[in-house]
Amino acid sequence: MTALIELDRVSRTFHTPGGPITAVDAVSLAFDAGEAMCLVGESGCGKTTTGRLLTGLLRPTSGRLLYEGKDVWRTKGADLARFRRAVQLVHQDPYASLNPTRTVFQTLSAPLFRHKKARTSRQALASVNELLQRVDLTPPENFVTKYPHQLSGGQRQRVAIARALTVDPKVIVADEAVSMVDVSIRISLLNLLLALGREFGVTIVLITHDLAVARYFAREGRIGVMYLGRVVELADTESLVGDPAHPYSAALIGAIPEADPDITRSKKRVDLRSAEIPSLLRLPAGCTFHPRCPLSEAGLCDLKIPELLPVPTDREVACHVAVRERTAEQAATMA
Amino acid sequence: MSVLSVRGLSIDYLTRRGPVHAVRDVSFELEKSETLAIIGESGSGKTTLAVGLIRLSPRGTKVAKGEILYTKNGMTNDIRKLDDDDLREYRWAECAMVFQAALNSFNPVITIWEQFLDTARAHGLNDRRRVHDRAAELLDLVHLDAGRVLPAFPHELSGGMKQRVLIALALMLEPQMVILDEPTTALDILTQRSIIDLLRQLRQRLGFSMIFISHDLSIAAELADRMITMYAGRVVEHARVADMFYRPRHPYSLGLLRAVPRVSGALGSVASIPGSPPDLVRLPKGCTYAARCPYAIDACREADPPLLPVDTPQHEAACIRWQHVAEVLGSDAEIPVAEKLA
Ligand SMILES: Nc1ncnc2c1ncn2[C@@H]1O[C@H](COP(=O)(O)OP(=O)(O)OP(=O)(O)O)[C@@H](O)[C@H]1O
Ligand SMILES: Nc1ncnc2c1ncn2[C@@H]1O[C@H](COP(=O)(O)OP(=O)(O)OP(=O)(O)O)[C@@H](O)[C@H]1O
Ligand code: SF4
Ligand SMILES: [Mg+2]
Ligand SMILES: [Mg+2]
Repeated sequence: MTALIELDRVSRTFHTPGGPITAVDAVSLAFDAGEAMCLVGESGCGKTTTGRLLTGLLRPTSGRLLYEGKDVWRTKGADLARFRRAVQLVHQDPYASLNPTRTVFQTLSAPLFRHKKARTSRQALASVNELLQRVDLTPPENFVTKYPHQLSGGQRQRVAIARALTVDPKVIVADEAVSMVDVSIRISLLNLLLALGREFGVTIVLITHDLAVARYFAREGRIGVMYLGRVVELADTESLVGDPAHPYSAALIGAIPEADPDITRSKKRVDLRSAEIPSLLRLPAGCTFHPRCPLSEAGLCDLKIPELLPVPTDREVACHVAVRERTAEQAATMA
Repeated sequence: MSVLSVRGLSIDYLTRRGPVHAVRDVSFELEKSETLAIIGESGSGKTTLAVGLIRLSPRGTKVAKGEILYTKNGMTNDIRKLDDDDLREYRWAECAMVFQAALNSFNPVITIWEQFLDTARAHGLNDRRRVHDRAAELLDLVHLDAGRVLPAFPHELSGGMKQRVLIALALMLEPQMVILDEPTTALDILTQRSIIDLLRQLRQRLGFSMIFISHDLSIAAELADRMITMYAGRVVEHARVADMFYRPRHPYSLGLLRAVPRVSGALGSVASIPGSPPDLVRLPKGCTYAARCPYAIDACREADPPLLPVDTPQHEAACIRWQHVAEVLGSDAEIPVAEKLA
């Protein structure tokens, strides 16, 4: 079966004063219809860039973006317009993404008129009311005339989601900025996105730096871990958090403080060889994680770039040592 | 013996709409070498309280009432009554603070060495050689390479390095108390981990008392001995860390704990708190949490419940239905609440 949307060995290079940097390097990711997936990683690892490549807002330097099997950057006219409607990016930073001079009605009706989903104000109002109900802003009358500054952070976020829904998208990429939504409302926003995915079969890709949030959101799906522009592990959520294969995933999971004093004070930690994250301007040769990696093997990891390869039986990993050991383990259990 | 004793502290911001009651009747004690965490959602008054403790509140702030008693060598002083000189001394030498969002508070045009020098001068330390030795010693303590960091400008350091420098600066005069406002917010996971481990080490080595403020419960789970939950400017629960996490008695603490998913162990029943906090200018009658509280009854809207002991004398909650909360949670075992409710 072909995936609904797919990045096929996509790279993106930016030219900066210090020289060119490859923010996303040969990333391949495929998503099925209705899937809930998370991309996680530390600041600067290329999550937002990947999200912008996936939604066609940024042109790849190399590689292809496929939608329903077609190369998006080679499609034109009606096909391209269809892709633009079907794939929506929602910034999880409501302060930046809503126009402060527009009411909720204006924000939501503009795309309805633009895409000819409404012709009269009355039609638009009916659709806006329905959208507000879908994102639990009820009763809608209380919200249509409000400006962003009259709404709480969580309400603004819901308006941003409603705006993405105006065009009946098939894919929503939600990019969560670091530490902006309050813990008390975060879960209800994730639940809203999950419910939309389930009810309307929308594929939802959540971008976050928070692995606990990723685990909650993608509990029935997959998590992809990124490091310096590459996907280093892609696995079913429970396999990833319970038994990470890539040493970087293991380091992240071990480092996360947990909201449980007994667990967090007795967690198994992975000691890295260096705390420093290399600059994209001077990436280490071979596996870019090797200078920090506790498993690194001289003559292998510092020379050869590890591909993202399938390991038995539930994931893909870009690590020479993890792939070798997991494959050997599997062979041993088979014998 | 307590180092700090806060009694009935209330702080208002004077605004055109009327006074914003940001901190209301807050009392707590901080023991020697103890770590106290203050948690609560955005706007609950955490920063207002912390800044109030060192009397650095902005203009237009009024400390409506209360005492901040500070004890050293058997001598107790009310911070509210100190004169300017004593206050300056108290702020660094006794109680140092690392501010929220302080990563951007460095002067961008001077080097880290000059930041150390300025801080030292403000306290009458003018011997450059001694300041240099002390700076090197402190940077070593926070695992930074002084040779590299001292000549650097702030923008040349990563977020985690800047946070370490701020902690080092705070420790310059060997305070017996350190207040940190959101020390790890906006830092990456691995950096956050190194700051948490650093704070734990420093506390052990230097024996200072620590108050840290965070909306992130997991950091409290890591470092705190005791915890306070704030809601709409008030302390609604106060407990030892295990009691707070496994046996909360205030519905708001319970709500916050349930709102945070975990990476290890069972997910349990994770849920958000519906609604938003009240307007601090026009506070509702009765319990300020009633509008959002799943356990509220009519009596909750009559009078604001006082903070009273619950299960043990060391555990207090401001909720008339705490026994009901205990029943809902069932077992007292050391299991997170999201699992108990699953
Ligand atoms: N338009 C651009 N021009 C130059 N560099 C860019 C551009 N966009 C992104 N970058 C760089 O590419 C790298 C990846 O950035 P990106 O925003 O994708 O990271 P991220 O994983 O989303 O980080 P965060 O968690 O901080 O949001 C960073 O080094 C960033 O500075
Ligand atoms: N200078 C000010 N003037 C008027 N109101 C203020 C001022 N500073 C803060 N407030 C209000 O006082 C209340 C408490 O704010 P405070 O900054 O103490 O909260 P906080 O718990 O630290 O929140 P956060 O987690 O967002 O840092 C909020 O309602 C805030 O809007
Ligand atoms: S006093 Fe009532 S409303 Fe307030 S938290 Fe307790 S049960 Fe809820
Ligand atoms: Mg980003
Ligand atoms: Mg604050």
